[in-house]
Amino acid sequence: MTAPAHDRLPARSQASFILGAAALLALVSTIVLGLGLPPTLEQGPYARLIAIHPPLAWAAYLAFGVTAITSVLYLWSRTRRRVWDRVAASSAEVGVVFTALTLVTGSIWGRPTWGVWWTWDARLTSTALLLALFLGYLALRGVQTDVHTRAKRSAIAALVAVVDVPVVHFSVEWWRTLHQGRSLAQLTPQSDLDGSYVAVMLLGFMAMTLVYGWLLIERYRVEALEEHFEDQGLDRALEERRAEAEAVVAR
Amino acid sequence: MTAIDAPSRAAPGRRRLWVAGAVIVAALGFLLFQGLGEATVYFKTADEAVSQKEDLGDRRFRLEGAVVPGTVEAAPGRVAFEVRGAGGGTVDVVHQGDPPELFQPDIPVVLEGRWDGDRYASDRIMVKHTSEYRAENPDRVDEYVGKDRAGGQ
Amino acid sequence: MWRDAALVAGKDLRIEARSRVATNQVAPFAVLVLVLFGFALDPDRGILSRASAGLFWVAVLFSALLAVQRSFAIEAVDGGGDGLRLLGLDPAGIFMGKAAAVFVELAALELLLTLGVVVLYGVDLGGAALMVATAAVATLGLAAAGTVYGALSAGLRVRETLLPLLLLPVLAPVLLSATRAWEVALGTSVDDGWRWVQLLGVFAVVYVTFGLVGFGALMEES
Repeated sequence: MTAPAHDRLPARSQASFILGAAALLALVSTIVLGLGLPPTLEQGPYARLIAIHPPLAWAAYLAFGVTAITSVLYLWSRTRRRVWDRVAASSAEVGVVFTALTLVTGSIWGRPTWGVWWTWDARLTSTALLLALFLGYLALRGVQTDVHTRAKRSAIAALVAVVDVPVVHFSVEWWRTLHQGRSLAQLTPQSDLDGSYVAVMLLGFMAMTLVYGWLLIERYRVEALEEHFEDQGLDRALEERRAEAEAVVAR
Repeated sequence: MTAIDAPSRAAPGRRRLWVAGAVIVAALGFLLFQGLGEATVYFKTADEAVSQKEDLGDRRFRLEGAVVPGTVEAAPGRVAFEVRGAGGGTVDVVHQGDPPELFQPDIPVVLEGRWDGDRYASDRIMVKHTSEYRAENPDRVDEYVGKDRAGGQ
Repeated sequence: MWRDAALVAGKDLRIEARSRVATNQVAPFAVLVLVLFGFALDPDRGILSRASAGLFWVAVLFSALLAVQRSFAIEAVDGGGDGLRLLGLDPAGIFMGKAAAVFVELAALELLLTLGVVVLYGVDLGGAALMVATAAVATLGLAAAGTVYGALSAGLRVRETLLPLLLLPVLAPVLLSATRAWEVALGTSVDDGWRWVQLLGVFAVVYVTFGLVGFGALMEES
């Protein structure tokens, strides 16, 4: 329980502010430009959801990827730092939000185009599973126990869960699905993607990456603050007890 | 039970770790190369539905095919059409209920239902849209898209 | 390692045989699940026999959860887990022993549930080879993954609620594959059932390997 001399109070940095502003700008322009996309031949106006839905899924992959890498860094004794554990936790939490949003936007897209909110094809099933796996991970993180034990076990759970990420991504190629194939995989001159769609989609990917980065930094800061105040609370309690004891001795 | 050589056993040897990693990677690789596609059938194509008709009997299964132009007969709460697979096999479909908004000739659909005599009785139509995103309105379309779009509709 | 595994498996099974928790609680629970499905789905005749493969494996999954919980509960009392470690047993051996004990319990349970499905849902058994192979490989996967996650949640204060949330999503591929394979065996679907057995095999191999190597690390500080 001996907390190391604690790093200074993590304050909101200027870099985070700039990143947040950039993320907001990119997000707003994605939405504005996305709504301005021309309707397509096949899907009409619904195709515009491509500006949001794939980038959300990408951000979820990215978040879980970061969780996996930092989990490995924590498990490997030579690179073991508390920092990695905190980053893994923060990133997974942000990833769960992105996964949930992916499912929600996908469902909203599916209803008018496919005709159903949900179907059990490989893409949808594996994504739902991904959400469940990382909800379990977060539950494990919420357990009150020794910090190292929790970090180690969570890291193992994260490594098992992250195996589902490539499964989600390649599910549309490995299996027959209702879900369409990967759009950006066929980003060639002869592609069926309209030029404006490619541009807005890439903007969307950038926007979600920025949003992810900003959320991660802020979530990490909150995590560090929580630990800081926990340690501080402990220190204060110790001091109070000591003062009480001294008061008794003095009398 | 008398073994007290615990320290040597506490951590798995480096070699053991590598072997384990290799086994796991090999197992997952086997999975990929075996090709899961055939086993994990979400739907059967129109061709398969025709060739496996005997085996399928009246079991429920999902059917995929492209709606054949000129065969769609819509009535309130009911629509009949044909779907065709890539291999040319066609299936007569009777669907109870209204088709979804994007339902149209030539579009690939996934249906849920079963063989009922020589026709496929469907109770759900799902439109399997592709990853085509070609703009409807010509004035902002790139030159290469412009040409084959004319044949699209 | 093998000797250690046999010792641990023998110990666990002996405890189950003497305490009768498996026979008096887990087995009746599994049958109860089948009966509850019967209550819920009875009005539509035929739906039970059509869905029997899935219902069977859901019942097995719930029971597996109880079996795993039980397997680690017996180590939690009277410092049993510490005892195992102090004896200097090979962690890989302990893993194999505990997984083997769970495997045996589940296999017995599956026999009972098969009987239950035949009697209660009116299922005609068929494709015996495919059914047995599926059950064997799936149960191996369940036992191995269950033991890994049992150790992962062992010693934590909220393990009773945590384990299902952690373990059930991990076991979902087993439920999916085993159900599809049994549907083929029971004749409710047309597919290549053996492909699913391969998938189950890969799942089992991965978790057995993972457990053999990682169990020591998981046990260290529980």
